[in-house]
Amino acid sequence: MDRVETIIEVQNLKKSYRKRKSKEYIHAVTDVSFKVNQGEIVGLLGPNGAGKTTTIKMICGLLIPDSGTITINGINNQEKRLKALRHISAVLEGNRNLYWRLTVRENLEYFAGNRGASRKEVAQQVDELLETFRLQEKASELVNRLSRGMQQKLAIAVAMLADSDVILLDEPTLGLDVETSYEVRDLLRSIANDYNRTIIISSHDMDVIQDICERTVIINGGKIVTDDKVDNLLRLFEVRAYTITLGGVLSEKQQKLLKLTFPGAEYKEDINQSSVGVDLEKSEAIYDLFDIFKLEETPVESIDRKSINFEEIFMKIVKGEMDDARVQSS
Amino acid sequence: MQGFNLLKANIRMEYIEYKRYLPNTIAMLLTFYIIFIGMFAGIQLIGDPTTQDSNVQFVIVNYIFWYLAMIVVNAIGWQITNEATQGTLEQLSMSPMGIWRIMLARLISSTIVSFLIIVALLYLSMLTTGQWLNIDIITILPILILTLISMFGLGFIIAGLSVVLKQIQAFLQILQFILAGLTFVPLTVAPFLAYFPFVKGVDLVRAVMIDGVTLSQIRMEDFMILGFNAVFYFFIGLGIFLLCERVAMKKGLLAHY
Ligand SMILES: Nc1ncnc2c1ncn2[C@@H]1O[C@H](COP(=O)(O)OP(=O)(O)O)[C@@H](O)[C@H]1O
Ligand SMILES: [Mg+2]
Repeated sequence: MDRVETIIEVQNLKKSYRKRKSKEYIHAVTDVSFKVNQGEIVGLLGPNGAGKTTTIKMICGLLIPDSGTITINGINNQEKRLKALRHISAVLEGNRNLYWRLTVRENLEYFAGNRGASRKEVAQQVDELLETFRLQEKASELVNRLSRGMQQKLAIAVAMLADSDVILLDEPTLGLDVETSYEVRDLLRSIANDYNRTIIISSHDMDVIQDICERTVIINGGKIVTDDKVDNLLRLFEVRAYTITLGGVLSEKQQKLLKLTFPGAEYKEDINQSSVGVDLEKSEAIYDLFDIFKLEETPVESIDRKSINFEEIFMKIVKGEMDDARVQSS
Repeated sequence: MQGFNLLKANIRMEYIEYKRYLPNTIAMLLTFYIIFIGMFAGIQLIGDPTTQDSNVQFVIVNYIFWYLAMIVVNAIGWQITNEATQGTLEQLSMSPMGIWRIMLARLISSTIVSFLIIVALLYLSMLTTGQWLNIDIITILPILILTLISMFGLGFIIAGLSVVLKQIQAFLQILQFILAGLTFVPLTVAPFLAYFPFVKGVDLVRAVMIDGVTLSQIRMEDFMILGFNAVFYFFIGLGIFLLCERVAMKKGLLAHY
């Protein structure tokens, strides 16, 4: 048996919705396949409308795919839906998946009850979760009196209480203020570390994914664009991006030459200083760059690796610039 | 054991709702009581004085059953519509117990929890009118249970339709009157109604409570119809519900945004 166990396998998923009052179809998911290993934290990243929610709902058994299969712990979730559901719980988008007229504790107990557990069986776990999520003081508060952030934490606690191997979270930080967003991220990281659950998080926010996930599956227009370790993606782009600070400004001739040799270069001028931002496809190209500076003896003050953020990577990948990069890296 | 925990959780939820929203509960009871007073006054004003007593008794039984049908059949429709909008229906649908078991647990719990209210309503209406009915529990219980099972079937149908149809509210309003019609129309007027979900049951309960019929006097044939209705409607209802659930999962209707 393999040491790394695949817990979720998604193969060639496809799903279209019929537009209301018309015969047209919206192809929400056209071809999605990926695997998730036991204990992994995977991010499902993509812009709005990419098909993330649709994919997650198919994995949760809330939507039947038009074609394709999903296996959870080796169980096909269409053939044995209820059996597969035992291994999964989810926090879907928004704060509306709780009973607003029940208290925090009552929500936890009611959802556990609906999975067949008695209040007594989950009592200890409920207390622990309330503590971990810092909700003890709000245990008897009605959910509609909680802040948006606390509601989100409670929703995650409800999913935790299910004691499933896999937890899916659809846009867990959407609509939260910055501070709460960070609190939820910390919480998710600690859940992954301390409880050893497999976690799948969807988000349109690269920052969230970069912060929490080890690996990311990028989805756009209903298709998988790339599937790689977050670190790999960062490294792949980081090495090629430089910012060069110069102790003077470039002449017009130099600027023209720069444009000609490095069409994507960014030149910024200050009074006695300037900087050139450039993506170097090959590291040797840096000599061509230096030749341009040497032309007028422009002093080079520093060379920095530009810290490209994940958002830029994401935009590049989605725009299809990934293809040549992939060839290079393999 | 899991099924029992499921039932317990739903009974508790039902009880909490009644208790926490006590003013609502009281307002609902009052509305029903006022409707009853209205019917009672109507009988006294325009009814034939020689049959007045039996008419009043007839109304009491019917109206209690109407209330029961509203609790079991209509309420689940509203509940599902609300939960699909709220988002909790999706959460429930992810339970490995299966949503139909949760729905069954809800039907049973709302019946159990509202039973106290129904008994209170019954005694209140008997007290108001001075008409004391024959409460023969041994005879009423088996009839009531079989009747409830067919009502649950109807509840499942309404629940299923509420999942699939976003514009069910208008129908649920009308349903109240259909349910009233089914409980108020005597079988002698329309014998074929015996095969409708709970009409036969109400008819038999009337025979017990008004005419003092006892268990041994009820014909086997009547019980057969009752039993047939119970099994038939329950499984038809469940089947329709499961079908609707599947349609909802195909079309993405478990959440109405
Ligand atoms: N229930 C639905 N009915 C019709 N169209 C839908 C439905 N749900 C999603 N869509 C459409 O499918 C596409 C993918 O949506 P979704 O999976 O929600 O994307 P994401 O979660 O990545 O934003 C979008 O174009 C969206 O408008
Ligand atoms: Mg989404």
